[in-house]
Amino acid sequence: MTPLLFSLLLLLTLYAVYFAARIARLDAPAAEFLDGGGRLPGWAAMFILPGLAIAGLGLEQHLWRVSTFGLSASHIAVGFVLFAVAALLIWNRLWYVTRIAGLATPGEALGRFYGSIALRVIILALTLLFALPFSANLLSFAAQLLEQASNGSVPRIAWVWLLAISLAVPAIIGGWRAAILVLAMHAVLLALLLPGSTILAEILIAGPGFPAQPIPVAEGVLADRIPGVVQYVGGIGKKVLPVGIFSAVAIGSSILALLGILFSPASLYLGQTVRAGATLGVSSVWLTGGLAGGVLVLGAPLLATRMADGPMALAETLYAAAPLAGAALVLMLVIATLFAVSFFVTGGVLIFTRELIIAYLLPDLSHRAQRFSARVALGFTFFFVALLASFFPLLSAVTASVALPLAVQMLPAFLGLGFLRWISRGAILAGMTLGMLIVVFTEPLGLIVFEALFVELPWGRWPLTIHSAAWGLTFNLLIVLLSAVVTLNAPDRFERDRLHDSLLAATRVEIGGRGLFWSLMLVWGFLAYGPGAVLGNTFFSDPIFSPVAAALGIPSLWVWQILFWLFGVVLVWWLAYRVGFGNLSETHIEPIELGQAPPRRSPDWLAAGLARVAGNKRR
Amino acid sequence: MADTSTDRLDRHALVMAIWTPSAFVAAILAHTGIASEAAPEVARAWIAAAFAAVILAFVGHVIVNTVLKTGFTAGETALGLVAFATALLTLLLTVLTGSDDLVQRIFLPVGVGLMALVVAVIAYLVIRHGPRGAFEKFDVIRDNNLRPASRLPHRGGRR
Repeated sequence: MTPLLFSLLLLLTLYAVYFAARIARLDAPAAEFLDGGGRLPGWAAMFILPGLAIAGLGLEQHLWRVSTFGLSASHIAVGFVLFAVAALLIWNRLWYVTRIAGLATPGEALGRFYGSIALRVIILALTLLFALPFSANLLSFAAQLLEQASNGSVPRIAWVWLLAISLAVPAIIGGWRAAILVLAMHAVLLALLLPGSTILAEILIAGPGFPAQPIPVAEGVLADRIPGVVQYVGGIGKKVLPVGIFSAVAIGSSILALLGILFSPASLYLGQTVRAGATLGVSSVWLTGGLAGGVLVLGAPLLATRMADGPMALAETLYAAAPLAGAALVLMLVIATLFAVSFFVTGGVLIFTRELIIAYLLPDLSHRAQRFSARVALGFTFFFVALLASFFPLLSAVTASVALPLAVQMLPAFLGLGFLRWISRGAILAGMTLGMLIVVFTEPLGLIVFEALFVELPWGRWPLTIHSAAWGLTFNLLIVLLSAVVTLNAPDRFERDRLHDSLLAATRVEIGGRGLFWSLMLVWGFLAYGPGAVLGNTFFSDPIFSPVAAALGIPSLWVWQILFWLFGVVLVWWLAYRVGFGNLSETHIEPIELGQAPPRRSPDWLAAGLARVAGNKRR
Repeated sequence: MADTSTDRLDRHALVMAIWTPSAFVAAILAHTGIASEAAPEVARAWIAAAFAAVILAFVGHVIVNTVLKTGFTAGETALGLVAFATALLTLLLTVLTGSDDLVQRIFLPVGVGLMALVVAVIAYLVIRHGPRGAFEKFDVIRDNNLRPASRLPHRGGRR
């Protein structure tokens, strides 16, 4: 399979280089390298959004979880509906904020809106977290997969560097627009290969699959049921019940963690740099909630059942029957990870360049010099990502585990930016600090460090099987609400009111006063991925309204998932088209200057440091 | 819509984002049909699915043209014709030089598939330009022998 896989990856690289070169040869201003001129084609973001959702879930990890824990793990895919809802709300408002107040990056948007440098620093730290350890972990995983596929003839480290170079070259040549255009094609490829591989596996491999045969989980694990609402255990690493970890609260909180990918700085930056149009609605309703959610809800149990012995065993079997089909399966898993690596490294570096180098370190750079500095930064970052992936895979994995839950802690800040004007800077910072601390200490990063330095903690990862993202966000929101009560009339309220008034005038969409919609959302959430999801265990096989057991032939929980996925798509459609969040229009935008624009100069201590390094006299 | 070089490149990227994955999927399906040792009926189904993928990609391309208010570029038309001619030539060479078993397995599905592509293109032309307009796209003789009367509205209204 090695030559075939190598050829396919080479073709993908050539595709990327071709478009990067075409973009580099356009007579566009040099500054567009960093943001695509803020006019990236809507269709590209339309395809990328579901790809991001799949990247956040981790395709291979999801399939592994389903084959290990059964349908309860597959239930997380219903959360794509919630992901689509969040995308509509956040991308829509952030796009308008970008156009109204000229706030070009996520850090600038939050920093200027709340008047906080600390928030800009937090965004930069998150950017770094996604661009380095998170991406390195994924790159290492992709390389490991390819090493297995090549039977070890090409070692993991060699694959890491080959992949890093193949991703770096197009990014360095073409910048943000090239990365996005190429990733859009990868997302379409993923959208075709995922159902395609499932169908091919069902047709080409002999023997019954799911649902004729249950998912081959370990003994004691409930293959087709959710093991209760909550499990009163210390968490992974301390004690986990043998029936499986995905209780209803574990599912709900894991879905919450999935939103972290949406709050990653690169994702937000994509939402800011896309052009006006109706593609956000199409993307969230039909492609993310509909297609990606449906393919995973319907297809993951089938594919996971065939993958009981691991993805490579399935790929080898498929390869024996149809070589291209086997290679396509491996390619699908690799693309799902490389997609995220390319996106987060390129986006992260460009944000970093704008937020740190251009804003503070070297504010007088010409546009051509800005492009050059971004290219150098891209080269260095891909190098460091490859270095981390090659020689520090464990460190990368441990650090990467906090990326998504930490990003989720940005939720209150973006709710304040887009909807709730009474949330103040102090509330955000207090809540975020506590939320992030709780995330770190309910994930391996904090647990390992604390237990090594001090004493053994009574809890492990995800106490009570609740994801760290939910632990952090619960306390985060609590602090935000309490703090907001006492800072309702903070001095910065005037600026926040101005932006929100402009937002209302530009969007003409109010989130309040939609009682029926939000009531249905709550009911849907409770039953789809909240405590009510356990009703699905037997609702269709042993109906509560009849003494007769139904012979469906498929697990009741699977029917429940399909049903609530379909209901969920209707709700996303409602939000996008009836409420109006699916459309981005520049028609009613009245630009404003938010607060006092920060001076475009280096802080004195930075300027002095730079002057010493460069050997120049301080200006 | 595609009025600047950036817009044209964006459209090109969109078209490629549709065709590249579809072509790969079509290749997987066609290769499975041709190379597998399954019964001829099964092989026919695989090859038919491959042509279905190509036709779906073509439909996607037409939708892109409609949404962006553009048409097929000269390069796209030429590439399509060359790909079609190559496929036709390969089929003919296979019939002439391939084993009987292989010919029996692939001739019918590939031949019908190629015809389906022609039908799809004709259907597109008729829908887009109308029967007379579609015919006029290929009416080279009339283009080369323009007479004043052909410009009259009731004679076709050639400008």
